[in-house]
Amino acid sequence: MKKTLIILGVVVVVMFLYGLSAYNGLVTMKETTTAEWQQVETEYQRRFDLIPNLVESVKGIMAQEQSIFTALADARTKYSGAQTLNDKAVAAGQVETALGRLLAIVENYPTLKSSETVQNLMIQLEGTENRVSVARVRFNNAVKIYEVAIKKFPRNIMASIFGFGDINYFEADQGTEIAPKVEF
Amino acid sequence: MRRIILIAFMIIVPFTAMAYSSPGKSTGFVNDFANILGTRDRQIIEAKLQKLKQSTNAEIAIVTVSSLGGDTIENYAVMLFQEWGIGVKGIDNGLLILVAPNEREMRFEIGYGLEGSITDIQSGIIIRNIVTPAFQAGDYSKGINDAVDVVIAIIEKSPEAAIYLNNNSANNSSSTLGSEMNLVPLIFIMIIFMNLMARILGKTKSWWLGGVIGAGIGVIIGLIWGFISIGIIWIIILTVLGLVFDFFVSKNPPKSGGHGGGFFPIFFGGGRGSGGFGGGGFGGFGGGMSGGGGASGRW
Repeated sequence: MKKTLIILGVVVVVMFLYGLSAYNGLVTMKETTTAEWQQVETEYQRRFDLIPNLVESVKGIMAQEQSIFTALADARTKYSGAQTLNDKAVAAGQVETALGRLLAIVENYPTLKSSETVQNLMIQLEGTENRVSVARVRFNNAVKIYEVAIKKFPRNIMASIFGFGDINYFEADQGTEIAPKVEF
Repeated sequence: MRRIILIAFMIIVPFTAMAYSSPGKSTGFVNDFANILGTRDRQIIEAKLQKLKQSTNAEIAIVTVSSLGGDTIENYAVMLFQEWGIGVKGIDNGLLILVAPNEREMRFEIGYGLEGSITDIQSGIIIRNIVTPAFQAGDYSKGINDAVDVVIAIIEKSPEAAIYLNNNSANNSSSTLGSEMNLVPLIFIMIIFMNLMARILGKTKSWWLGGVIGAGIGVIIGLIWGFISIGIIWIIILTVLGLVFDFFVSKNPPKSGGHGGGFFPIFFGGGRGSGGFGGGGFGGFGGGMSGGGGASGRW
């Protein structure tokens, strides 16, 4: 009788510890995805802050390209006004598209291309775009780890009990699949 | 310019399409897989980078590859940086200078910790004014050497380097002791635990209880590490050990007054685990991270 109790006791303790570690594991994974998303947003902000410099440098020479500047300004306003995560993501996509168009057009102005100020700004923008891209990849990787964990057995039971829902991967927005055409 | 379009495009194309394949393990700070630097030049640069590591703790990796394998230099640089972990973990003071002579592309990939000292623009300027002219003239050694000199100068003057120098002189002796201290209390706890187990298990003639406890501990270890495979291995090991332990203890129950001493030296005879890299090999980088900052160039 005593032996049975001991065994039962061990089993209960083990099950409890398992549940505990499974739960904590899920928490960690979820927080990782949040942290990675924060990094993405940080890089968006960096890009956002760089754009006015670029615009100032090229505005004078590209005076007739008003529509581009307006589009870019609108996109930026939308981004800073966006509240929800979803709005922010959409707005960021629009900033990207508008920026892409501006850069494509700068290509057509040789005087701008050779200006060192513009070249330096380009370097900064390239750096930022790369950072955005790296941050997004890392975010998606973190989401993948989390998603796999909440779907695999037996953790999926823990996940549904404690309400660990799906997190969406970052997906490219509509319209951005078409990279702006640039002639060299 | 084109690069921005390319990078924007990269965001859409899933990264599995850009297959990165590792060039191999690092063999030093300078890794000339494409064989474009002479032995002498490689040694000179390696010596400079070793000195930099000692004086500022910053890690610069020079890597030349004969092919990017269809990957973009940005993606390749980020993946390689991550794989080798250039820079000290937590400080992220690493810099990767990647050169692909066949694709005629190069990149500075900067670790998070160095982004303040070596900015995107600075990398771009170094590439544009120092490296590209030399590469265009076919002189890879000069290009890389001059770039390294400039980067070393920047890092040595950086505030991070100053902090490292200050901390280093004060704390050098105490750091290695710290890691050893942690083992001692752990060993004490284990001895006491084994003692306790010997007494309890010794009371029964049967020896299956040791196995159950061993299995239980194995499951806990598996949970802590989060992987069922590690757990299963430990369950098997500890169950067997538990059974054997209980078997011996049941045969020779420890006398109530004594320590139950005889068994324990067997378990704790081993020495401390060895630290360090051992011998003349390059130990690898410190596990630092980059975030995609830096600049690329072509010539």
